[in-house]
Amino acid sequence: MRIKWLEKFFDSIEPTFSEGGKLGWLHSTFDAFHTFALTPKTVTRSGSHIRDAVDSKRSIIMVVIALLPALLFGMWNIGYQTSMATGVDWTWIHQWWFGFLRMLPLIVVSYVVGLSIEFAFAQVRHHEVNEGYLATGLLIPMIVPVTTPLWQVALAVAFAVIIGKEVFGGSGMNFLNPALVARAFLFFSYPTHMSGDKVWIAADLWGSDAIAGATPMGELAAGMHPSASALDMLLGTIPGSTCETSVIAIALGALLLLFTGIASWRIMLSVFLGGGLMGLLFNAIGYNDYMQLPFYYHFHMGGFAFGAVFMATDPVTAAQTNTGKWIYGLLIGAFAVLLRVCNPAYPEGMMLSILFMNCMAPLIDHCVVARNIKRRAKRTVAIGKEAHNG
Amino acid sequence: MDIIKIKKGLDIPVGGKPEKRVVDARSIRCYAVKPADVVGMNPRLQVAEGDHVAAGQPVVADKNDERLALTSPVDGVVRAIVRGEKRKLLEVRIEQSASAAQPEPHKERNLKGSPCWWMLRERPFGTIANPYHSPKGIFVSMMDTNPLAPDMDLALNGRIGELQAGLKALAALAPLHVCLHPEQDQLAKEVNCGIEGCEIHFIEGPHPSGNVGTQIAAIAPIAKGECVWTVGAQDVANIGRWMTTGLYRPERVISVGGPSARNPHHYRVVCGACVDQITDAQLMYADYPAMTCDRSGTRIISGSALSGTQIAPDGYLGTYDQQITLLPEGNLHEAFGWMMPNFNKFSFSKTFVSGWMNLVKPLLPKGALEGLETYRFNTNLNGGRRPLMFTGDMERVFPFDIYPMQLIKACIVGDMELQEKLGIYEVEPEDLALCEFIDPSKTDIQSIIREALEALRKEATA
Repeated sequence: MRIKWLEKFFDSIEPTFSEGGKLGWLHSTFDAFHTFALTPKTVTRSGSHIRDAVDSKRSIIMVVIALLPALLFGMWNIGYQTSMATGVDWTWIHQWWFGFLRMLPLIVVSYVVGLSIEFAFAQVRHHEVNEGYLATGLLIPMIVPVTTPLWQVALAVAFAVIIGKEVFGGSGMNFLNPALVARAFLFFSYPTHMSGDKVWIAADLWGSDAIAGATPMGELAAGMHPSASALDMLLGTIPGSTCETSVIAIALGALLLLFTGIASWRIMLSVFLGGGLMGLLFNAIGYNDYMQLPFYYHFHMGGFAFGAVFMATDPVTAAQTNTGKWIYGLLIGAFAVLLRVCNPAYPEGMMLSILFMNCMAPLIDHCVVARNIKRRAKRTVAIGKEAHNG
Repeated sequence: MDIIKIKKGLDIPVGGKPEKRVVDARSIRCYAVKPADVVGMNPRLQVAEGDHVAAGQPVVADKNDERLALTSPVDGVVRAIVRGEKRKLLEVRIEQSASAAQPEPHKERNLKGSPCWWMLRERPFGTIANPYHSPKGIFVSMMDTNPLAPDMDLALNGRIGELQAGLKALAALAPLHVCLHPEQDQLAKEVNCGIEGCEIHFIEGPHPSGNVGTQIAAIAPIAKGECVWTVGAQDVANIGRWMTTGLYRPERVISVGGPSARNPHHYRVVCGACVDQITDAQLMYADYPAMTCDRSGTRIISGSALSGTQIAPDGYLGTYDQQITLLPEGNLHEAFGWMMPNFNKFSFSKTFVSGWMNLVKPLLPKGALEGLETYRFNTNLNGGRRPLMFTGDMERVFPFDIYPMQLIKACIVGDMELQEKLGIYEVEPEDLALCEFIDPSKTDIQSIIREALEALRKEATA
């Protein structure tokens, strides 16, 4: 589809933003908006003269679309939790609208801060702006408690983008998932705002005192049995980080990611396998209540499902070889459950488990590739011997 | 019959498939010898402008080894010597003489030292075969799975005698491996005529199963220190012609197709032929010159759309190419193209409807997808260049025991030791053409691989 007036508009302002133009220093910013509105008319020069229609914009937008069910449900759940806790009688529309108003500032802050930094770095490096942050910027507000102060979100985003990504050279060069870097930053810097039982439920907009409401994992860590039923956890009508609670909404996103092939099915499946196996192992030990918890409870408590679908599968920070992806996923699942059950200081193990395996992914790949290298080296040696004997 | 099944790969449905008929292009008078096509050649001119050259006479030879020479395909007169940047020798143009004097057949018919020698290429590196080397095998692919490739049965039709003679001559040099598709049983019977040292392999699967590199990797992968030679199937027939008659007349049946071709079919040409008559016939409406397609809006490629070389509308067929592809240039903007459904765009990824075609096809009545099964490809890059961010897809189109992404990264950083360990000697750039095609980060993988191989070659010969 061509839109002539849009092309004319961009053509007319292009000289201003080109090198030597008045606003030439804003070239990367111009380019970002230009390529957003109009696919570039760059043609191939050598090699393959034809190219697949897919590009990174298309791939990233699929992730954003896949996040929408969880986001929309999360918004409703914010309102639902508040109305349940305060006893106010709201319709579901009202509940959703309340949640929307609480989420919007988080999303806006995340995008404005993150994209500003991204644009600035692209500008300085004379790079094109990478669209990766469109997904990261939405992920960050989705995995924090709804009561997180905006200034903390802004700080975490800045930390994640600069230290987690740009110092390594930008999207595609980072080795840690930037969204989880943001969450880990908050978790260790402001623990009182990130855990406990006072942070999960938004007070109404006029700022009454914090409302208590424990997550199932918080209860388990405190030695209690979770008060929510398994069905509630599956549907997601429980307190938790803004958009991580509903396994069903996450599953819708997962379906899209798997259908389009954007996320690796190997990783997704193996995370659940790893978590399940670890859960069964604890069942067998059965030392305390937490260990006796049916293994599948781990899948719909806390951020396990969300992490498995949207975080572990980030192709940049995951293992890159197919064998590596299996190992990487299995260990993420296993470590997440291990941390949950055995370390009450960190009620949620998923974040740390994924970050840890992000660090290990290059090592896993190294070992997998080394096997291939060894096989090839053997062949060379065999030839050398043959030549020697012959 | 053992069949090697290649599972990984992709047949790209480019529109403008050539019909199965061959037209003799007899009226072409201009030919060119193109040393720029030959990897690693340091060319020295053997002729001057205005010289008369006989068919088979060396036109350019390698400065390091005069026996590695490109020879004139026809009797004629050297009309122009074309040089590029830094006076790099690009092509020597020869106009065929009008008088068709019967040439004298050569007496001595030794393949080494014959005018056909340049048809043998050596892997690793893709240079002309070094006659001093002893290859562990010579590989001939009698199938071509490139998009819009010529029908090889059609191309070899009527040349069976020459083909057998050529195979015999090659089998005398080293163990010969011939690869065919299981459906080419007629050809297989004729090729399998008891030539000593000639082994027949059947191979099937999507592209790149027809690439000789894939076949080598499946039969006997190249290790460090080894080399193999490869020859195109039609060139085997050309060698056979020279061995039996002593006449040098290298012919090829080429396919001419692509979304811009009006009337795609096969042509029989002599190697190095000027393509202007062909492009005129394919792009112009003879009766309505006013409706002539904009030549500058069409890219003419010698070779396949995946790994060919762009040539001018009056350019010349590449030294080792057997097809011409005509593609519309894609220098157009599209509004919000990255989020539109884009039914008319092909993608291997399942983020476009086209990615689902192969899955949906068996469920639909036959013919329901008429006209939707091929795509009007153009030369647009379809996106911006990014770091290599996405993983797992290249492995699905790359049927080698090699990690493509890791190899590409080793080439980008120039780590020669790692490249060797990861198996760079087993590949030529064309083997990674599909990786380049599907790559969402639009990296120029083939040129990265070529540069790395060239650096290794220089290291090896230094």
